[in-house]
Amino acid sequence: MSFCFNDANVAKIEALKKRYPSAQALSLPCLWMVQYQEGYISLDAIDVIAEVTDTPAMEIYRVATFYTMFHLEPTTQKRVLVCKTLSCKLCGSDAVLEQLKKHDVLVEHVECLGSCGTAPVMQIDDVNYENLTPTKVDAIVEGLR
Amino acid sequence: MSEMIEIIVDDKTYRAEEGSLLIDLLIREEIKVPYFCYHESLGADGNCRMCMVEIAGQKRPQIACDTLVKSGMEVNSKSTKIEKVHTDILELELINHPVDCPTCDQAGECSLQDLYMDYGLHDAKVTIVDKVKHDKKVDLGSNVMLDQERCVLCARCTRFTDKITHTHELGIIGRGDEAKVSTMPGRKLDNPYAMNVVDLCPVGALTSKDFRFHQRVWFLQSAESICHGCAKGCNIYIDHNKMKYQDDVIYRFRPRRNDAVNGFYICDEGRLSYKELETNRLESMLYDGVVVDEHEAIAQYKSLLTQYQGRVSVVIDANLYSEEIEAIVAYAERIGAKVFAPLECYNDPSFADDMLKSAQRAANYGAIVKMGLETNMPSDAGLIINFNHPTHFNAEAEIHFSTHKQESNALLLPMAAFSENSGSLINEVGLEQWCEKAVEKNSPAPTVLSWLEKVEG
Ligand code: SF4
Ligand code: SF4
Ligand code: FES
Ligand code: FES
Repeated sequence: MSFCFNDANVAKIEALKKRYPSAQALSLPCLWMVQYQEGYISLDAIDVIAEVTDTPAMEIYRVATFYTMFHLEPTTQKRVLVCKTLSCKLCGSDAVLEQLKKHDVLVEHVECLGSCGTAPVMQIDDVNYENLTPTKVDAIVEGLR
Repeated sequence: MSEMIEIIVDDKTYRAEEGSLLIDLLIREEIKVPYFCYHESLGADGNCRMCMVEIAGQKRPQIACDTLVKSGMEVNSKSTKIEKVHTDILELELINHPVDCPTCDQAGECSLQDLYMDYGLHDAKVTIVDKVKHDKKVDLGSNVMLDQERCVLCARCTRFTDKITHTHELGIIGRGDEAKVSTMPGRKLDNPYAMNVVDLCPVGALTSKDFRFHQRVWFLQSAESICHGCAKGCNIYIDHNKMKYQDDVIYRFRPRRNDAVNGFYICDEGRLSYKELETNRLESMLYDGVVVDEHEAIAQYKSLLTQYQGRVSVVIDANLYSEEIEAIVAYAERIGAKVFAPLECYNDPSFADDMLKSAQRAANYGAIVKMGLETNMPSDAGLIINFNHPTHFNAEAEIHFSTHKQESNALLLPMAAFSENSGSLINEVGLEQWCEKAVEKNSPAPTVLSWLEKVEG
């Protein structure tokens, strides 16, 4: 296995372990740690998490595929997560998606980003961009460079 | 055991164990209840929502698979209201279903088809082009093919690899429309019981690579038999069919429920062992490698018997039926031969596991032990008459009654395989079980009993 948690994450896992009744409860925190450490979640990493959490690798993989915020493939592009759920859809996420096609970014459709009041919403590097219009999209994406 | 209580279902009173599952009672009493995800060996999962019933005092319909019976409970499984619930849930199940029954191997034994006839009969509101598309041909491994579009996500297959084999190869990944059964990328379904998921799958999502596209299930006839793969004695159905102008052949073995032996399952090796009954069979009588007719064969048999009078040993395969073994033993006594039933060669510890598979790989192991037959190897025999025992013995002359071809210049006499005859077996723990005759070949090989009649006639 080529994946290893870095020292900071190993310490974090040890600290978290004491908080939960079972190691399986660490599944989600571990997936986050892997994603922040590596940028995506590899199969190797899933096997490591399976060991740490004493849970079958399939269970970890299922969790990772269930949540749209986890990325299972590496990319060199910027990831832009666009909400595909109801409020955003009604308030114009289609136009946002159309506009993003003009940029060199990796667009991912995700479930509700929890910001329905300010729909349509997209998220880049954990920051929500709200009340989007096509012009705003251009400005935001260009501002990334 | 907890207390027996009374509950009312559709105005009739039934007795059940307090705290047992309502769905078990409905199934046991043959009260019709639709369901996909519940399975008696996998327990309740409550994901398909098909098994709804009305319970007096409860506002909404409840799922029967997750309801524990309580004294005085009043259940209604048939009202117009509940039938409407069944119809609506079934419609949801079918929303993205490809309805490709004409090319689906499950057709004829499919819960979705059956329930549609009972509760559906609606027209689809989603046209075929708008249905969610998935992969229709995923090779999961271990002879199991997955059609993700036909899947109703009941999770029986994944619960099997989680709870029964503990191998965890299968899981439902993704969510919503994207949810599908899968293995992990680059990994396979790989365990000795894997093909049971094909039987568990209530629809045509999981099919057996070995069986798919070979035969429509409604043409098959089923005989109740016992697997001959080892001394466990798993109960099976032999599914066979004789097509016009062809011979009667076996298409598959399926597990037959017997809670005292194998539960709902069989091992893959046993399941596929039907192939041995259809290949490399000895079809003609041979002597010195040359085909002989029955008259010559019997003349040869008798002359060998006379020649070696007093130095004859009879060897018995521990897969023969008890009735056959008894007849052979009696025959041996009449001709003054010694009887041997060596068991050594059936012992295969590498086959055994703690689920079903036994190290003793002979179906009638228990009978040999019970009859107290000599299990050592025959020694210094003049003539050996071998009733299908797999070992090669040294003797001056040999006669083989054999189901399968073999390299030998001895007198070879073809005999019926277990599927072509009926009889009883005793398994490793002394349980006696009966096997029905399944197959009637166009030119059947004689059974042991008819051979004995012929050679003594
Ligand atoms: S493949 Fe069959 S058993 Fe598995 S979840 Fe789908 S319908 Fe159920
Ligand atoms: S465990 Fe033995 S008897 Fe059962 S199916 Fe397998 S080989 Fe046949
Ligand atoms: S629907 Fe888009 S943030 Fe909730
Ligand atoms: S059988 Fe009860 S919910 Fe599926």
